[in-house]
Amino acid sequence: VSEYELAPATREALAELLLTLADDEFVLGFWDSEWTGIAPMLEEDVAMSSISQDEIGHARAWYELLAGLTDDDPDRIAFGREPDAYRHAALMNHPRTDWAFTVARRYLYEHADALRLEALMRSSHAPVAELAAKMRREETYHLLHFDAWLRRLAEAGGEARERLLAAVDRLWADAQAVFTPLAGEAALLESGILPAPLSAIRAEWVERVTAAFAALGLPLPDAAAEPSGDGRSRRTDDFGWLHSQFTMVARSEAAATW
Amino acid sequence: VNEAETPRDRVWEVFRQESEGDPMIHGGNVRAPDEELALHYAREFYGRRQESHRLWVVPREAIVELDDPDLLQPPFDRSFKRPGGYIIKHKLEAAKARASQDGDAS
Repeated sequence: VSEYELAPATREALAELLLTLADDEFVLGFWDSEWTGIAPMLEEDVAMSSISQDEIGHARAWYELLAGLTDDDPDRIAFGREPDAYRHAALMNHPRTDWAFTVARRYLYEHADALRLEALMRSSHAPVAELAAKMRREETYHLLHFDAWLRRLAEAGGEARERLLAAVDRLWADAQAVFTPLAGEAALLESGILPAPLSAIRAEWVERVTAAFAALGLPLPDAAAEPSGDGRSRRTDDFGWLHSQFTMVARSEAAATW
Repeated sequence: VNEAETPRDRVWEVFRQESEGDPMIHGGNVRAPDEELALHYAREFYGRRQESHRLWVVPREAIVELDDPDLLQPPFDRSFKRPGGYIIKHKLEAAKARASQDGDAS
């Protein structure tokens, strides 16, 4: 389906979907770039910074697709909105916190994102399907890396395991928000742009996380948790602070060309 | 705790190949607590810019080192063991010419 043939309602729904995909990657990329210089060891410092850069790169690709669709400027979308206009999942409202918290969030997000990308690879909208296929290849490494870290912290026992469990407890409800139903989801499903309902992708994700946690002897907070309606519109002071940081340069010279 | 004995201090030597068929060349090393993270970190340090086709990651303690000068730099003249005195360029050209003549004949 070419974007020019899309009905206005479908077009609007596609724009909403692209904004959620881009904002998830963008905000998480910025939070975790804060590990640069202070990760547990030098090698992990480089790995975490590189993974964060990957996410910013993915955000950029989604923002560019969105800008093409809405005749906007990708930098304006990324840096020119007020905090309330961002549509990342509540999972990305939390600050970086400690290493176990970062590992827990990345693990929950990477698997959610991988399953979402796998669904989008079957999208009827070719630009979305192509981007999703490219990103899914790059996410293979992210999955391996955070699977490894989840296992390390779980098997280490003691304080590492306790901090990991505390982080999962704090994040679990907000992790569901990655799958918050979209206002235009019916139009996306009907047009085949989104090949499966977000609730169905979430069910796959819960099944996968449940199996992985069981294998590591980790209790799961509540497999029946549902995303809350404001999962992508609720903002926090922590995000307000991050927003002030990542828009600082763009605000310093509003008319500049980068 | 003796830092040298903590597993996070394990050193892994990384060899990289730029294209299929090229020799594996020593790139450097990474520290990692186990094989899995050693591979991840090797990928970050020696492959994240798409500069490598293949990596070998080897625990440093698996390397057998030889640097004894009595074995590697013996004091007598050993120049007769080098192939430098034997010029094969003309023999190679003659062999190529013969091969192409054989090819024309068949």
